[in-house]
Amino acid sequence: MNAKLALTACTALVLVTTLTACGQEGDSSKSTSTTAKGGKPTVCLVMKSLGNEYFQAMQKGAVEHAGQRGDLTLNATGIQNETDIDGQIAAINKCITDKAAALVLAPADSRALVAPLQRASKAGMKLVNIDVKLDDAALKSAGLDVPFVGPDNTAGAQKSGEVLAKALGAGGKVIILEGVSGAANAQQRKAGFEAAATAGGLQVLDSKSANWETDQAYTITTNLITAHPDLQGVMASNDSMALGAIKAIAAAKKQGQIKVTSFDNIDAIHPYVQDGTVVATVDQYAAKQAGDGIDVAMNEIAGQQVSTWVKTDVKVITKADLG
Amino acid sequence: MTTSAALTRKPRSAALLARQVMGEAGIGIALLALVVVFAVAAPKFATSDNLTNIATEITLNTMLAVGMTFVILVGGIDLSVGSVMALSAVVAGPLLTAHGLSTPVAILLAVLVSALVGMGCGLVNGFVSERWRVPSFIITLGMLNVARGAALQYTNAKTVYDFPAGFSLFGTSTVLGIPTLFWIALAMVAVGHLVLTRTVFGRLVFAIGSNEEAVRLSGHRTSIVKVAVFVISGLTVGIAAVTYMARLNIASPILGSGYELSAIAAVVIGGASLSGGKGSMIGTLLGACLLGVLTNGLLLMGVSDFQRQMITGLVIMVAVVVDYYRGRLAARLPVEA
Repeated sequence: MNAKLALTACTALVLVTTLTACGQEGDSSKSTSTTAKGGKPTVCLVMKSLGNEYFQAMQKGAVEHAGQRGDLTLNATGIQNETDIDGQIAAINKCITDKAAALVLAPADSRALVAPLQRASKAGMKLVNIDVKLDDAALKSAGLDVPFVGPDNTAGAQKSGEVLAKALGAGGKVIILEGVSGAANAQQRKAGFEAAATAGGLQVLDSKSANWETDQAYTITTNLITAHPDLQGVMASNDSMALGAIKAIAAAKKQGQIKVTSFDNIDAIHPYVQDGTVVATVDQYAAKQAGDGIDVAMNEIAGQQVSTWVKTDVKVITKADLG
Repeated sequence: MTTSAALTRKPRSAALLARQVMGEAGIGIALLALVVVFAVAAPKFATSDNLTNIATEITLNTMLAVGMTFVILVGGIDLSVGSVMALSAVVAGPLLTAHGLSTPVAILLAVLVSALVGMGCGLVNGFVSERWRVPSFIITLGMLNVARGAALQYTNAKTVYDFPAGFSLFGTSTVLGIPTLFWIALAMVAVGHLVLTRTVFGRLVFAIGSNEEAVRLSGHRTSIVKVAVFVISGLTVGIAAVTYMARLNIASPILGSGYELSAIAAVVIGGASLSGGKGSMIGTLLGACLLGVLTNGLLLMGVSDFQRQMITGLVIMVAVVVDYYRGRLAARLPVEA
């Protein structure tokens, strides 16, 4: 009876694993399989939530890039949500068990992931940090030197903010919509917006977190428009929040009076960039970023020295770019 | 005794009426106090524009809370509402952008599909928890993940957008200065109230929450009622999904995360008991208003994010403690005159 139960459990487990693998393969090539074949090194790519368009693009780009290179086996995984730190630690541990040659990580937290990375390093894996930079002090105290391949979120937000500052002129009154409080990229984007506001002489009336989310951004913008009827601009830390702000502006019948600047360049924002409501958004080329990360990992495996920060492209997208 | 009292529940005597009013006035008084505080502390709070804002902001939560009230009254819980809302939206959303459909037809179809998806998920929740006696907490937790995953799979994590202009105009329209979408939420509250207080089904919902065994023994089929409340919750979720799309003009597979907790909070602040049998639709509406006014007022005052979160939590805690004392006070009044 017990044996039967165990058998059932095993079958169920195998089934689940197979299903998961199938799900991952969906639109990708076969290169996501975990085992190294023909002596090719396995590179682990651990990302954040695949429910985010940005990481979807990153995964797609990584799979394509690995397929083009053809000299590695890519093992790409994501986690449940943006703050699922335990999920990432589990994914890293799995990479260690799989004896992967290198780990490319987009950390969910810039400090909490340093300890698991230390274990991976001790297991002989080459490490590459992408997307959000790991905390320098935490790396230093762990005795790690991990190259960062990624965009400068602060510089990107600053460029986006500068477009708004130019559109409004000195003295323009703006609010900032922040991402999840405590997330490194949320803090960096806020810092970038603030720098642009200071440089352009903008007055930041308020700065609130809408947790990257459309509906929350709608509520917050609506209320801040009421609190500050002379509001002229919104700096949204991602496009999802910008979409909420745009609807709040429309509901308050302030179209044309309040301009929005944003970040991420998802498809849904394009109509508003074209009609001028959104003066700018920022593309961090997620797909290319993962490819660059893989290249750096392969160079490390080949024994090459890698510089500490390989900056990837950050481009401001305006009406002119969409044609 | 409780059962038969609930089954024939009508505020005939003055004392009973007083008891019912007390049941809802507690939260009403708290809401009033909050309004007074904000009217003084936040200069722009007591303006007609801001009241419109509050109505808009509480619309979704009110709709979800209507369905949640039914579920909580039978002693169940529905944790899947936020995720199912996302699934309903992303399945119905593309119909709005489909070419070859006239706008009214597209909207009608979207409403229908959204409602069906919501009710389908509700049916699964209700059926599984009833057929195999699984606590609804765990089955709806399962559905929370299934529906979210399905929404992401269906859209490949992409946001659906580009809805017809007529649809978004409807989303921002007002009737008598109040957002049309909020009127719909109010209508849902009214219908829910009538169903709960004026129908046999409503009496059964209360009775099952107080003493399911007694209802069964008196010859009623409790299973049907207990499945039905989850289908009702699913229906309100489907309507809320269309409302979300009308207002924000997008359907995102990650929308609505955490909405289940706000809906549950509204119902419980409104005086409902999580063990079932106690609560009211009017209380739920007041609970949703209280949460909405709180968010709105604190934002207008410019309170920081972290403090706003703490204050919201504290108010929920205080509201339920006050409710406990109010309940004891009300219990001292004679039940039958």
